[in-house]
Amino acid sequence: MEAAAPAPALETRDLGRRFGRRWALAHVDLEVPAGGSLLLAGANGSGKTTLLRLVSGRLESSAGTLRVFGLDPRRQRGTVRSGLSLVAHHLSLYPRLTAAETLALWLRLGGEEASRARVGELWVEAGLEEHGDVEVGGFSAGMRKRLALVRVRIETPRLLLLDEPFSALDAAGRAWLAQWLAGLHREGVGLVIASHALEWAAPLCQRAVRLTAGQVTWRGPAADLLVEGRAR
Amino acid sequence: MNRGWIRWSGLAGLVLLAVGTWIGLFVAPAERHMGDVQRIMYVHVPSAWVAMVCYTTAFVFAIVSLWSGRRVWDDRLVGAVEVGAVLNALLLIQGSLWGRATWGVWWDWDVRLTTSLVMLLLFAGVLALRRLADDEGRRASWSAVATIVAYVDVPLVYFCVRWWRSLHQVQSSPDTVDPAMVVPLRLNAIGLLLVAIWMASRRRRIEGARREAESAAPPARVASEEVARA
Amino acid sequence: MKLARQAWLIFRKDLLLEWRGRARTVSVILFGIVTLVLFSFALGPEAEPLRRGAAGFLTLALLLSSVLGLNESFRLEQEDRALDGLLLRPVEPTALFYGKAMGSAFLLLLLAVVLLPAAVVLYDLSPTPGGMLRLLGLWALAAAGLAAPGTLYAAITGRLQSQDVALPLLLFPLVVPVLLGSVKAMDLVLTGDPMRQLQSWTLLLAGFDAIYWSVCGVLFPFAIEES
Repeated sequence: MEAAAPAPALETRDLGRRFGRRWALAHVDLEVPAGGSLLLAGANGSGKTTLLRLVSGRLESSAGTLRVFGLDPRRQRGTVRSGLSLVAHHLSLYPRLTAAETLALWLRLGGEEASRARVGELWVEAGLEEHGDVEVGGFSAGMRKRLALVRVRIETPRLLLLDEPFSALDAAGRAWLAQWLAGLHREGVGLVIASHALEWAAPLCQRAVRLTAGQVTWRGPAADLLVEGRAR
Repeated sequence: MNRGWIRWSGLAGLVLLAVGTWIGLFVAPAERHMGDVQRIMYVHVPSAWVAMVCYTTAFVFAIVSLWSGRRVWDDRLVGAVEVGAVLNALLLIQGSLWGRATWGVWWDWDVRLTTSLVMLLLFAGVLALRRLADDEGRRASWSAVATIVAYVDVPLVYFCVRWWRSLHQVQSSPDTVDPAMVVPLRLNAIGLLLVAIWMASRRRRIEGARREAESAAPPARVASEEVARA
Repeated sequence: MKLARQAWLIFRKDLLLEWRGRARTVSVILFGIVTLVLFSFALGPEAEPLRRGAAGFLTLALLLSSVLGLNESFRLEQEDRALDGLLLRPVEPTALFYGKAMGSAFLLLLLAVVLLPAAVVLYDLSPTPGGMLRLLGLWALAAAGLAAPGTLYAAITGRLQSQDVALPLLLFPLVVPVLLGSVKAMDLVLTGDPMRQLQSWTLLLAGFDAIYWSVCGVLFPFAIEES
């Protein structure tokens, strides 16, 4: 154990996961330094979501090793989970709770007081000023997305996992999100973004990998994904 | 595990069962009150014992399976539960036959008969759940959880059925019966136990092989030249 | 401490959702009443067999309604993968279990408020006020006995394709002691207890509750973490 350098935020060796006979992910080697960033590119079904679920510890790997903050996310669940956030395709919202109630629940579950001011501050950050007392089920997709994203503010993770964060947002929403994520990243939060919207995601990340049928088929600087021909 | 030993134990079990049953049917004296009907006891009682041994073993395997997270224990678990359930089903059929001959009814809400019916439903539920779970990890932990929950229930069911319906059928212990009856009972019990071990271990191997086949090596690593390092 | 706090928050959240979706809760209660009425058709119209079977009918109405409530409790969590969100919060799975089991037990207890008076009217029962309180107490014990293993199994079957069949298939054989205990004890309250057996049956129910509220609490994390 080296005490000096902080453990990488994410490290995988030969990582694989199968569902029945189908390998959704195989032979994946990755490393994201603490506070670093990684873009996962690839077609639908290439294994991006599976990889994020493995990292979050909700799924167990079938092969290889996986370390998050130097720990095994299945064995040291609590420690790993308190250090990361996942904003997945499913946003984990209850349609019958209002935005304010949702935020209050998250705050309290994290052991914080859910004062009116604190909750208000969060829904302003999400751009939901007028909708704090509306049930989430009545929100547009973009509003739901923003609400799910501000939970990151409550969780204060060291590593943020995002699955298609730019989907369901309009152009203004994407610009807001890109800026917001860049801010988080500057504060030292590590980012792993699975996205098709390369023009938005690539500028946020240092490195990138492309997954094809569950395997890494390209890796390089994220900026190269935007340069025609270099990443194909 | 030494497979040869298991196979021979299966064979020895069958021989013991044959000898025990022969003694039970032709050598042991007929029971005074019940007559020849009582001879079903030589398979009935061993079925009950061995079924309980199977379920108890499954319970232990379930705990180890959850604790260790290793799939081998799930293979062992399914072997024990399935053999237990088969013996349990036989137990019900034998009990029903015996009831027909003695009480004149196919079914009676007797303590042990009722308990074994509930027990069969409980463990059949475990096996059904295995079928419904589509993922290997889920299958393993859910089977173990359901097995533990079901096993803990058995004594509770037994006691509450006993209170509910007290049609006493006092358990006969070996020292109150003719020694000539004890011999076939013991032989059959040991024989059945050996056969059960053999069957459960076969089942474990089938499960293990099925799992191996599913987890066949992941697709070959993409050639390293393709992964251009920038 | 953190565990109790989180369990309490989950419990409150479930009650709030239950309240918001009260049309659903009302349907469950109506279903319970329909069951009671159907038993009258099966064994009526003479009052005597109905009165003798009342304890059994009440318990069965509780059992059948419980499956609807329990399935719903986890459908809410699966709809938008809210469960994943809770676990990654991170909420202790054990806290989640106790929160949700308390929520389900509470809902089933609520059922008593409607079903007990309904049974008194439909089956021509005449319990004393003290007897009514005892019935309520027994109902609470039975509800708790269904809620603990029910929550464990609903968490499992909520992620299966054929969840509607799977839950009763697993739960009903398991709760035979609850069923017998509740039927016998309620019957003793309704028709008299010459042999002083009520206490033993009440203890049996309480014992079942104690065992399953602990065992299921220990096993729930294993059931929920595998996905």
